[in-house]
Parts: sequence; structure tokens; C-alpha cells
Amino acid sequence: MVDVYLVGVGGQGIITASKIIGDAALLAGEKVILSETHGMAQRGGSVVCTARIGDRAGPLIPDKAADVILSLELLETLRAECKASKVTVVLSSTERIVPLSVSTQKMRYPSQQEVVDKMSSVARSVTMVDAAGLAGQAGARMSSNIVMVGVLAGSGATGLGRDRFEEAVKANIRRNVDENLRAFALGFDQGKRAKA
Amino acid sequence: MSGILEAEPGDTVLLMGNEAIVRGALEARLSVATTYPGTPASEIGDTLAKVAEKAGIYFEYSTNEKVATEVAIGAAASGLRAMVSMKHVGVNVASDPLMTFAYTGTRGGFVLVTADDPSCHSSQNEQDNRFYALFGGFPLFEPASPQECYDMIKKAFDVSEELGQPVILRTTTRVAHVRGPVTVGEISIGPKKKEFVKEPARFVTVPAVARARHLVLLEQLSKAERMADESEFNTIIRIGDGGRQGIVTSSAPANYTIDAAKDMGLHVDILKLGFSNPVPSRKMLDFLRTHDKVVIVEELEPVLETQVRSLAQREGLGTKVLGKMDGYMPRAYEYDQAIVTHGLARAFSKDLNEAGKCEPPHDLPTRPPVLCAGCPHSATYYAVNKATNKKALFATDIGCYTLGVAPPYSTADLLVCMGSSVGTAGGLAKVNDLPVIAFIGDSTFFHSGIPGLVNAVHQGHKFLVMILDNRTTAMTGHQPHPGSARDPCNPGAISVSIEEVVKGCGVKWLKVVDPYDTSAMIEAVKDALTQDSVSVVIARRECALIAKRDEKGAILKKHYIDQEACKKCRTCVTKFQCPAISSIDKLQTIDEVLCAGCGVCAQVCPYKAIKEAP
Repeated sequence: MVDVYLVGVGGQGIITASKIIGDAALLAGEKVILSETHGMAQRGGSVVCTARIGDRAGPLIPDKAADVILSLELLETLRAECKASKVTVVLSSTERIVPLSVSTQKMRYPSQQEVVDKMSSVARSVTMVDAAGLAGQAGARMSSNIVMVGVLAGSGATGLGRDRFEEAVKANIRRNVDENLRAFALGFDQGKRAKA
Repeated sequence: MSGILEAEPGDTVLLMGNEAIVRGALEARLSVATTYPGTPASEIGDTLAKVAEKAGIYFEYSTNEKVATEVAIGAAASGLRAMVSMKHVGVNVASDPLMTFAYTGTRGGFVLVTADDPSCHSSQNEQDNRFYALFGGFPLFEPASPQECYDMIKKAFDVSEELGQPVILRTTTRVAHVRGPVTVGEISIGPKKKEFVKEPARFVTVPAVARARHLVLLEQLSKAERMADESEFNTIIRIGDGGRQGIVTSSAPANYTIDAAKDMGLHVDILKLGFSNPVPSRKMLDFLRTHDKVVIVEELEPVLETQVRSLAQREGLGTKVLGKMDGYMPRAYEYDQAIVTHGLARAFSKDLNEAGKCEPPHDLPTRPPVLCAGCPHSATYYAVNKATNKKALFATDIGCYTLGVAPPYSTADLLVCMGSSVGTAGGLAKVNDLPVIAFIGDSTFFHSGIPGLVNAVHQGHKFLVMILDNRTTAMTGHQPHPGSARDPCNPGAISVSIEEVVKGCGVKWLKVVDPYDTSAMIEAVKDALTQDSVSVVIARRECALIAKRDEKGAILKKHYIDQEACKKCRTCVTKFQCPAISSIDKLQTIDEVLCAGCGVCAQVCPYKAIKEAP
């Protein structure tokens, strides 16, 4: 059983990322259950999805029970702290989407080093990936989410094969399929660095 | 992976609960489907909108939930199968026709899908709609997974037709918005036409008919109870060796209960109810007689618990029943595995491992949902605050514009339900001296704002109604409404003019203003507030998410901040709110990619430091 806790910001394609993980699991003959919260969260708010691979009935991941935290945004990585334990593999994009509260309430956006330090203190490993840069390199500027799915696949944390993920990417992405597969591949190579 | 229609019989596909409901209905001879969008039910309608024509069924986004229900009743009373879907509070709107439809009963299978929202993820309350099943006398199905959504909607149509009674299928956010594997069968669509056979002694509920039909309803409910007793959806799941300890549960909490019991190493029998109203009393009594202690695990209200306790009392059973009435389980918010584990540990006197607890970090910058870059509502709220100097009372309504409650706008003082802005503004205006403004979206105005406006005209109430017309039902995913120029489900749909409706209601002072023109909007609001009767401003500008853009991605023209001209007054972030504008370390900037090019910020800046990008 593998529990993946996905976090990000509305509009980053986190639901698509979770569907790819779900389809990859289904293709591999595994049981899988996904959850998401819609509605107000679409308007630039924090978004959380879960993907539970294996024999679980409930879709939600209890505190300290995530096997993987897959984050598309740096601040949201930190917000996921409670789901981490000493077995958790943290895979985070270094992308920053500065929330309005930083401007209006003069709050401080944490540095990348602070995020790495904090998450390293509660998790097993932390891997930072320049997902936006790699997406641009792949010619799919909007596909940071696919890069991060590649990172997850490359980390080996789900136990699902690369081909399953690639097939799932093709099933969920209609446009610029080649660019997205390239984004996935660049992420995959980065994922190998992760201590999973 | 395959679309809803493409999956072949025997295929296992990953479907959201809402999608599974649609696939199941399409295999259950569905003919007519209606809805009014609302989270977490919206994807039922949105999926139907995509497939209806190809599948050969009739589907419409109706004006509101009451009308949606009535359209479905017309088809079902004629003998075709009909489904109406809505969020939980939508059932309040639909409850008038529903309560009496239970008396007339139905000829074709009729299923109401209600999607409840424990924890109010995107709702104004977390009411428990299982009460409607008890209130009106509806057989009730409660799926716990996408596969059960699919299986139970099919069964619900059969039960409805067999009993001749409307049936409710109730999901919650953690059922409707969960994706899981669903193994599908063969699509089987119902006929398009069926002639209504006149039978006024059944379908025209004058008092004499209603009195007779109430007895029929009660008779059918006792038949429904026997069906529930035999239903394959009411099953016992044994965890460990089972034994004399039991749990009764339904819906999403059943999932957390199964996971918790396994992880805790309990030996327990779980009676999981999927066909939960009428409560299968024979099966329930058997369970109570064979277990010494029974814990009821259900989200929100003690609906099952009340009935289980009542059954135990009626039969004089000594079984210990534990639940939320005695504080073992909470009565508010959605459950999760930790909450259920905590309750079960206390109920079964097991040691609780608190190591799993964690306090979420509280010093991080918050990220609440905000109005988008280029959102016309943002421009309207800025103008209203300028015009009133914030000295006004704001009755607001349900849609994206409810986000105006947050600073810097704070343009929301009272909100209870869809359409309530206009009605409550009348009461506010009657007893307050401050000017009163009602904000209502275009879709919400059609949904239930019109009767309030008629009342205001007739009673001579004095306030301003601002119809925030962004040409769509934005919040729930851009569904069409009666004012829409195009309806994807109905190419011949006629666009109903908001101006004509407003004038038809008898409003004497009406202006249509583009919110992107802030000085015009400020003047219009000032002028409107000097009128002696109810006045209306239609703030018309297409939602920025669907508006036409130029090749640079701008609606009008992208802007930037000229740092030499900027006086660091921060007006652009303290009086106005745009996700593209940030103010960090005394530096105000506009994110070139995020900027929608509405040009409103340039009008907001007192020093003309925000300029059109070259």
C-alpha cells in the first residue's frame, strides 16, 4: 500500500497529476482510490489531492501516514508537514506562487532552504526539483505537474513501472503529447536522485 | 481513461463518484436528466451535458433546483425514467414539489441525487439530507464508493419503478469527488417519448386525493422496508474474528470504519447500510440481538442512531448502543480515519495511540481562494467602496462574488442562501438608515432573485440591487443559465434578457455599466443610491476566465508598474485586490503572465504609475 499526498495551488494541474497516478495504478492491476476538494479551492487557493494505491477503503490520508508528499509549490510543501513521518519521501517543485497574504498582511514567504530543513527534520528524504525549468526545457511550459509525476515515477516510491506512467500520461493529456512525455522523462531522471 | 460512453461492458475504468452515477443511469434506461449546478454535485450535470446528445437522452441545466425537479417529475409521471441532481441545499429549494411527489408517486423510475457537504468545503451549511428521506418518505441509497454509486443508481431506478415511489440517492463530498475503479456494464437508454395517461385521482393533489395518497405512501414504505431487509447493499463485514462487538455505519464513514477497525486489530462485525431508509429493521434487530455492544458511526446527525435506539427500546433489548448522543462520536464536520479510530477506541475501551497526532503549522502565509486577475467583480467592489466610502450595508449572495467578504473589499454583511440578497436587503433597508446594496450574480438572479425584486418594487423598499452579470455560472464551472447566449445542451436556447426581466418587475431606475470603467461605475452607484425606490445596476462584463483574449493573452491591454512613478502608497494592494499584483519588500510589481489586461489597476493608482505595457 502506497499513500501519495499531492499538494499545490488551484490551476497547477494537481487533479490531472492525481488522475495519471490513478490510471498508472489501475493499468498495473492495483487497487486505487483518489480524492480531491473542489469548489472555492479553484480560485487560486491551496489544493490537496490524495492517491491511495492498495487495499484501502477511505480516500483520506491520516496525519503522519503519507508515503510520498508530491508538491507542485514550495509553500504548500511546508503546509503538508503533518502528513510526513520518518518513512515519507518528499518530492517538491521549487516553484513559488506568492499568495496575496504575503502582500497584504506582510507575511514572509519562506526560503527554499527553510523548506528543505523543516521537511528534512520530519521526513525520510527531501528532493527539490526545478519543475518549471524542466517543463520549459521540454517545450511544455505549463506542464510542471507532468514533470513532478515523472519525478514520482523515477523515485520508485510507488512501485509502478515507467511504462504504466507513460501510458497514463498519454491517456490523460490530449495536447502536446510528445512535449509532455519529454517533461515526464526529464522529471523521471530527477526522481532517481530521491532516496525512496 | 475511456470516456463515460466509450467504456465497454466488463471494462474497469477510473471514475469519479459523480461520473459513476451518470454511467450507471445511462445503463438504467434513463430518458430525462435535469440539474442546477452546485458543488459537490456539479460533475453529474457537466458529464451529462457532454454525453446527452450522443447518448440520446434529454438533459437540461434548469433555472433552479425546484424547476429541475418539476421537469423531471413531468417526465417520470409520464412513465419515463428521470434523474435530477443537486447539492444538499438545493434540495431545500426543491423540497416543495418533492414532498408531495412522494404522495402521487411516479410511473417511471425517479431518482433525486443529493450531494451533501460535511465540513462545508464549498457550502453555507452542512445539513444532513438523510432527514429528507425520513421527512418525505423516500427510499434512500447511500453509496460509499464510485463502484457503489454506479451499482446503487441502477438499483435505485428499479426500486423506484417497482414501488412507484421517488427515491433519493445521497452522496457526500468524499463519495462524489472520489475517483476509484468502476466495472461497467452495457448502456441502455430509455425511450424519448411516452404519453401521459390521465389519472387525476392520483396526480392532482387536491385534499381528497392527498389524503388517500398519504396512505398509499405509507403502504409503499413498508414494502420498501422489506426490500431494504433483503438488499445486497445492507451487509455485514467481519473484521478479525468478529464476535459480540458490532458497528453500524453507512456512506463515507463506512470506509474510515473498515480501515480503522483493521488498523486497530479489532474483532468486530460491521453492519454497513447502503439502502438505509426505511431502516431494515429485521436485519438491524438480528444484529442487535447477536451483539452486546453496538457503536453507530455516521457523519453529522444521529439519524441511524435515533432509529437503532428506538428499535432496541421497542423490542426491549439490552444491547448497549453507543454513538454521538452520548458523546462517543462527533456531530459536526466530516469524519476521517483518525476521528473514527478515536471514537471506537473509547467505545471499545482500547488504548489510543496518540503518536499519530499533529498540529498543523500555523505561522505560514495563508492561501485562501481569491477573485481572479481581471475578475469584473473585483472592479465592481472597488468602485462600490469608492462610491460609498464603505458606509453601506451589503447583502450578498452565492457565487464567486461571495469572496468579496474578505479584505480589502469587505463587501458582504449578510448571506443565508441562493437569492437571499434581494429579500434580506428589503428587511435591512426597512430598519436601517445606512444605504443598502444587494449583490447577486446573473445565474443566481434567475435562480431565485426575481421574486425578491418583485417584492421590493411592490412594497416600495428602497435599496440598490447590483446584478453582477459575468454571463455564466462561474463558481461551479461555467455552466449556462437562462441569460446565456449559448447553451451547449440546447442549440436553440433563447437568451432571456436581464434588463427586460428587471423592467418587467416594475423597476423604474436601471443602468447597465461595464465594471472595467471604474469612474462610470462609481457614478452609477452614487446616482442609484439617491433614488426613492429600488434601483438596479447591471455590472456586465464576461468572466475573465472565459473572456476573449488578444495574442498576448490580454482582455484589453497588459499593464506594468513604472517604478519611477510609483510612490509606494500601496493603494493597488490595500484598496484593490489582484493576484497579478504583489507587494513584497516595498516593491510593487505586476506579474506579466498572470496579468489579464483588464486595466482596472491603472484606474486605481492615484499617481498614474500603472501603465499599458508596450
